[in-house]
Amino acid sequence: MKANIFEIKHFAVHDGDGIRTTLFIKGCPLKCAWCHNPEGLSVKSELAFLSHKCINCGECVNVCNFNAHSILDGKHVYSRKTCMTCGDCVDVCPEDALKLYGITYSADELLPLLLKDKDFYKNSNGGVTISGGECLTQPDFCEKLLKSLKENDIHTAVDTCGFVNKNALDKVIPYTDVFLYDVKAIDNDVHIKCTGQSNKIILENLLYLDSKNCKIEIRYPYVPNYNDTEVDKIGEFLSKLKNVTKVKVLPYHNLAGSKYTSLDLKNTLPFVLPNDEQILHAKKVLSSYGLNVVD
Amino acid sequence: MQKFDFNNKSLINQYDNITYIEDSGVSFEEMTKFYSDLMQSDNGDNHDLIKANLFDYILTNAKIAIDKEDIFQEKVFDGDLIGLQRKKWLSDIKDGVLKNETLECLNAYNKYGSYRAEEDLGHTSPNTKALLKLGFKGLINRINDTIANKKLTIKQEKFYNSCKIVLNACKKLANRLSDAILPFNKENAIALKNIANSAPNNIYEAMQLIVLYFFAHEYVYKTRVRTLGRLDVLLYPFYKNDIENGIYTKADVIEMLKYFFNKFSSAKVPFGLPFAIGGLDENKNEVTNEISYLIVDVYKQMNIYSPKIHIRVSPKTPVDFIKRVLSCIINGKSSFVFINDTVTVNALKKVGICEKDALDYTPIGCYEPAVWGKEIGCTGGAGVNLVKAVEYVLSGGYDVLTGDFCTFKPAVINTYEDFYNEVKKQIKFLTDKCIDYVNTIERYYSYLGPDSMLSAQYDDSVKNGIDVLEGGATYNNTSLNFYSLASLVDCLSVVKEFVFDKKIITLTDLFTILKNNWKNNLNLRSKILKYNAKYGNENAVADKITIDVTRYLASIVNNRKNSRGGVYKASLFTIDTCFYFGKRTFATPDGRLQGETLSKNLCASLTMDKNGILSLINSVTIFDHSDFPNGSVLDVVLHPSNVSGNDGLNAFYGIVKTYFDKGGFSIHGNVFNADELKKAQQNPEKYTNLQVRVCGWNAYFVNLTKQEQDAFITQANHVS
Ligand code: SF4
Ligand code: SF4
Repeated sequence: MKANIFEIKHFAVHDGDGIRTTLFIKGCPLKCAWCHNPEGLSVKSELAFLSHKCINCGECVNVCNFNAHSILDGKHVYSRKTCMTCGDCVDVCPEDALKLYGITYSADELLPLLLKDKDFYKNSNGGVTISGGECLTQPDFCEKLLKSLKENDIHTAVDTCGFVNKNALDKVIPYTDVFLYDVKAIDNDVHIKCTGQSNKIILENLLYLDSKNCKIEIRYPYVPNYNDTEVDKIGEFLSKLKNVTKVKVLPYHNLAGSKYTSLDLKNTLPFVLPNDEQILHAKKVLSSYGLNVVD
Repeated sequence: MQKFDFNNKSLINQYDNITYIEDSGVSFEEMTKFYSDLMQSDNGDNHDLIKANLFDYILTNAKIAIDKEDIFQEKVFDGDLIGLQRKKWLSDIKDGVLKNETLECLNAYNKYGSYRAEEDLGHTSPNTKALLKLGFKGLINRINDTIANKKLTIKQEKFYNSCKIVLNACKKLANRLSDAILPFNKENAIALKNIANSAPNNIYEAMQLIVLYFFAHEYVYKTRVRTLGRLDVLLYPFYKNDIENGIYTKADVIEMLKYFFNKFSSAKVPFGLPFAIGGLDENKNEVTNEISYLIVDVYKQMNIYSPKIHIRVSPKTPVDFIKRVLSCIINGKSSFVFINDTVTVNALKKVGICEKDALDYTPIGCYEPAVWGKEIGCTGGAGVNLVKAVEYVLSGGYDVLTGDFCTFKPAVINTYEDFYNEVKKQIKFLTDKCIDYVNTIERYYSYLGPDSMLSAQYDDSVKNGIDVLEGGATYNNTSLNFYSLASLVDCLSVVKEFVFDKKIITLTDLFTILKNNWKNNLNLRSKILKYNAKYGNENAVADKITIDVTRYLASIVNNRKNSRGGVYKASLFTIDTCFYFGKRTFATPDGRLQGETLSKNLCASLTMDKNGILSLINSVTIFDHSDFPNGSVLDVVLHPSNVSGNDGLNAFYGIVKTYFDKGGFSIHGNVFNADELKKAQQNPEKYTNLQVRVCGWNAYFVNLTKQEQDAFITQANHVS
């Protein structure tokens, strides 16, 4: 049983407490307009080509066994259709213009990479976070990895959008110390507009986790003109839960634009960025519902 | 106690324009006349005495200045006479008997950038414990008690007399300043009177004594006093007593500390004046006390970078204390370095220092641990540019940029092992050169710089009647520094892979390419830059080289005998040589261009720590840091977003604590983002307060050279 990992982030400090290593698993059932990890959307591996870095040297052409790279009129051309995402070209590109998103690992292969920083976790109250994409699209993998981590006494966090099968939750609950749970909207129409999907399952699952006394840290991505009207509703909904330990407001940013281009994906990023007052206001409102709002 | 006023320019900038009291002393002409007359009596064998007499003359007769708005006084016009005297004596030796040897060293330093070897009469750790316990008067009494009924040699007699003269001179200065400040500040006048006549009675007098002593020793007697010692240990007993007896309140002491720090900050003591707080005492109890916390809190309020503070960290140091310091650094007050007690004590034991003494070390200068008030470390005089060894192997002993023949021709090289052995031989050659010169010049220390001010405080020096710089201290050691470890490891690793393992290029061709500074070979260069087996990345190949090289370096330095009855201690930090020697070093196999910066301290080569900070730490701690008893340091650069909020503070703490758990010697940090540094580079006038940690000291970013600024920007970019 393997998972397709698009990034292993060491020294992650925003994915739960302390110093953490965050695993990003490919594949997501939602399609949020503001997604800043578009390389996590597809379950398949993808090669990113950053054309602005390319110096048309042709090194990649020489190593590709599938002729996915070519130089035409002195200019480098990449054919995504022919590429088999073997990653050979990444190592030879002198300018780091090529990047492979998606390398499959088994839990056993990952474990040593995660345990090597154990001392840092211990000294900072950190640990390991499994994120994505949506990691719970691979519940068996997550279950196995989380179990091994717990056997090694590592603090674990699961970062989820909640649009997952309840069975998947059941599998990981015993080995998960905290769930980092996204809440994008309470109003279903707003949620569909934002993500392409209904939030029915998401809210049900959130209540389910709460009923199971799981520790939950809520993330609310704040995106003007999309879900900025949801603050009060979110506050009210969350105030009824017993196990929400923290709430974070994540101000939307549009720094992911070049990633869309490099993957030949349609850039769906909203234009309007939130200002500081809006974020401050949202935090204040959420606090007024008795929630522990943190930075 | 009067409140410290941050807006009072004449207080903050008191050293910019000193007005000496007109009729308070003799004219400069008279002073120089005294100097000339005195130097007539120089017979080469009485330098302790004539230096002491000159010091006494200045403190007794020269003009003084007072700061009416300050609560501490110390200013006397010295006319740089002792500086002049020292220069003359240095010149007698360095342009005289040791002319050829000195020239060779100067060339090595200025022309070739291969090593640095010179006298180190500074880098001292005064015995401030004895000073505060006994005062000037008590120190004199101690000498008198020691020599009573003892038959002294002529040399010893001179020694003791010199010590007494300088101590008496300090007393006289205290009295003069007391009289001058009396009409304006009675409390200050009384304190000065008291320290002239006895040991300090309270914390205020203790601080006044330290100030007066320090400026007399560093600014008049011209010794680089590179630490005040363990300040929290020094001040706490006074503090406790004063609070218990209602003499001063905590609020009073807070104000005093501001004046105290401001004194050193306004004087712009070169490289910043250090002192230590925290850590274990001789009985392995943690010393961190209320004063330690007050020092950090007061420091956080002030926008200064000198004094600079050494934080000794033991397994018992309170976590909240360390975090308090970290929060200063996060807020841009980064003039701190953390030093690991466990590793340091082990390291000092390896060079023959007993555990009890080792536990009472204090870092001097940047990070160099020395037994407080018992060891002369001579920590700054010698050092070798490791990368230069690679240059000499490839060039056959020639300096590439000048074409001069510098070392020796290597043997035939057929394998990587051959190559590595030749590199080691060149390192050994340069190291021996350094040590030879330093050992030679150390034999002239009684000529160059007897230090009666220091000797008078050192227990063994007083007991045996021998100047501290002639071997009178309990420990009389010398240190040798190796510069740019990561650059060396990367060069070795690249040569191993590209020349010997993969045979992509021959050694000869590689040398040709390097001589041409990679011109027309950018392709190979970028392959080399991309090559993963580099220092600081948890790469097995590079880590193995690191372990092996460091073992070798320690073995050729530690415990070698110096000329003063002590031994050598190895260390691994770069001071400013990564830039200075970098300019003089040819293009290197690791892909570095000619003249570019070499690796700094224990850091990876610039931007070569590709796997992030945790991998860097895992690799940097792969070798035994206690093999480098003169210290080493890792600089970490963190982006503000990494350390924001409480989570960020925990993360920062995790970095420091884990570095120490893994056996790291010392660590300091910078928190900033590249954009802000770039803005500061473009609009320096708006960023006059932006501090950065350079090596073992801080500087305002806008005052650095362009090359240094660029290095910080590259590093900051790399972590964003
Ligand atoms: S990833 Fe493999 S198949 Fe795709 S372009 Fe690179 S070398 Fe060719
Ligand atoms: S190797 Fe990199 S830089 Fe060269 S043509 Fe391919 S993508 Fe461009």
